[in-house]
Amino acid sequence: MSLTEQRPGAVSAALAKDRLGVPSVVFFVISAAAPLMVVAGSVPTAYTVTGVIGVPFAFLMLGAIFTLFAVGYVTMARYVVNAGAFYAYAAQGLGRTQGVATAWVALLAYNALQLGLYGIIGSAAEPLLLDWFGASPPWWVIALVAWALTGLLGLLRVDVNGKILSVLLVSEIAVVLVFDLGDLFHAAPSGVSFEGFNPGALFVPGVGAALATVVAGFAGIESSVVFAEESKDRDRTVPVATYVGIAIIALLYAVSAWAQTVPAGPDGIVKAASEQGTELIFNQAAAHMGSAVSTIGSVLFVTSSMACMIAFHNTTARYIFALGRENVLPPVFGRTSARTAAPMAGSVLQTALGLIVIVVYAAFDLDPVTKLFFTFGAFGGLGLLTLLTVTSISVIVFFARNPTGETAWRTRVAPALAAVALCVIIGMTLINFDTVLGVAPDSVIRWILPGIFPVAIALGVAWARVLKATRPEVYANIGLGAHAAGGGAR
Amino acid sequence: MHDNVTGRPRLHPRLASLGLAGAVIGELMLAGRVTLDLAPGRDRLYVTARDAAGDPLAQSVLDHLVAEPHHPLITWLHFFARTIYADVTAVMIAAKLLNPPSRHLLKQQPATPVNTNTAAWPLARLNLAAERRTPPAVRDCVLIGLFVATGGAERALREHDPAFAAAAIAVLPAPLRRLIAQTEVAVGEAVISRR
Repeated sequence: MSLTEQRPGAVSAALAKDRLGVPSVVFFVISAAAPLMVVAGSVPTAYTVTGVIGVPFAFLMLGAIFTLFAVGYVTMARYVVNAGAFYAYAAQGLGRTQGVATAWVALLAYNALQLGLYGIIGSAAEPLLLDWFGASPPWWVIALVAWALTGLLGLLRVDVNGKILSVLLVSEIAVVLVFDLGDLFHAAPSGVSFEGFNPGALFVPGVGAALATVVAGFAGIESSVVFAEESKDRDRTVPVATYVGIAIIALLYAVSAWAQTVPAGPDGIVKAASEQGTELIFNQAAAHMGSAVSTIGSVLFVTSSMACMIAFHNTTARYIFALGRENVLPPVFGRTSARTAAPMAGSVLQTALGLIVIVVYAAFDLDPVTKLFFTFGAFGGLGLLTLLTVTSISVIVFFARNPTGETAWRTRVAPALAAVALCVIIGMTLINFDTVLGVAPDSVIRWILPGIFPVAIALGVAWARVLKATRPEVYANIGLGAHAAGGGAR
Repeated sequence: MHDNVTGRPRLHPRLASLGLAGAVIGELMLAGRVTLDLAPGRDRLYVTARDAAGDPLAQSVLDHLVAEPHHPLITWLHFFARTIYADVTAVMIAAKLLNPPSRHLLKQQPATPVNTNTAAWPLARLNLAAERRTPPAVRDCVLIGLFVATGGAERALREHDPAFAAAAIAVLPAPLRRLIAQTEVAVGEAVISRR
């Protein structure tokens, strides 16, 4: 018997008991994508703001692109440290400087996605409060309650318990499917139209704006690789869970977005969505199946938004923590709350930003759904697209530099196709960014907002150069996350 | 890392367990029973003497290390952290250092120290050393390192001075420094992990 002989022993068996299988990872991944919030919140808003009928097709198309992206992503995840973070791919594939730039984009994107959610919680809770108490406070009061709850739970490091999460998630998906059936049995007088799945209905003016929202609906799916270290079979669990998650999300969203168009007909959906907003699907359900079913849906809409908020809050706080551990951000962000094991400073920063955003939107009386939820969501979506593109390129470069036994499809072809498709989508989104913001095509703000990303990239590159010159030992550890503390050797 | 009168923990159980796992391995290193292969990418623990001189907990740790020598240090930290908190509590109760935990009104109370002064002494030693700027004993340097690694230093030490702590860690031999660094990695992973 040699000393290094690998055999399953007591240690592996004991640690494996705590590990996750495919279903658990799928649950975590889909719940971060919050199905009911997307179906009830994002989809009607997308119809309203963009006027594009082809949203269902957009979900299918992006599902296909995400699958292509995932091929290279999960393959590289087996070879990198700190696989949960996009910037780790950039740092270990392209170089540490690019890693820092990517980290800054990721911080912006995740922050935007999280902060945008404060805009939806008000309209999710309002109908219920009106129904139960006959009155409802302004949206920002509800948002502040949600904000306080999220901030507190973040500091206490309460992730929504896995079991509660699965119950919520299964009920959400069931409610969405029941609503869809209700829609299908109450088609418009003109009959059931499949116009939503017609690619021609998507590629019209405004397509880029619709795509950016749809991308935000997929946000959270990339978190599957976070579980690589904690999964039963590193080589199988995470890839399978990722593909299954993408397939479920893409199909569920596409069918539901299409079902919403059935009662009103493709011609009436934009008008219906503009008038009823996030209440659209609940009004449809109330008309088709009675108010009890609709109320259950409304309650789940609130819990879904809350769960999504907590998930994104914690994701962002952990991202900040990992960067603090590497000393890319000030080391205070790498500190742990000793009593709760929460990434304290990151969590507090998130909470502070949330307060600022809510107060500003309330003070200037801006619409929370279209101007906060949708704008921040689309901005975050644009950032996410950038991250996916950079990651795809990193995969190609990484495997070109570190040859392994992986196939060319996984290491070159699929990532290259994904990168090209993602670039096209980014281009279309930029062309339509005026529609996203609801401003005139010649407005300056439509270029300023996307322009924040290049500025973040430039600052990230500059900061990386400073680190390289002044603190080479910090520079050497970029991309390693928690492993930076151990000098990276594993 | 517990209140010296009430026995209430000041550190999250998951972090305290990782710190304790580091402490037990650190004791074996100090006692010359275990050493660490420092070659890059190795990080394997090697048992140099199989006999733990009658300490059953240390003996069981040694037996595990002997049985499966191929695991890296961080895997051992995670593995021992699963049970070490209960194990150490049991050992301390058996050694009459802690009173057994009592139940009041359906609520489990933590095990309380038998002698408050004995319980307070290690922390007091560290605080004294920090105040007087005297270099602590090697054993205490490991303790400071593990406090820093688990994030407990700010809460436990009266005046936590990062420079003093860094100096204390720097005097340790390389395997112990590596142990402290890997404990910090494991703590970071625990914070980032979603469960």
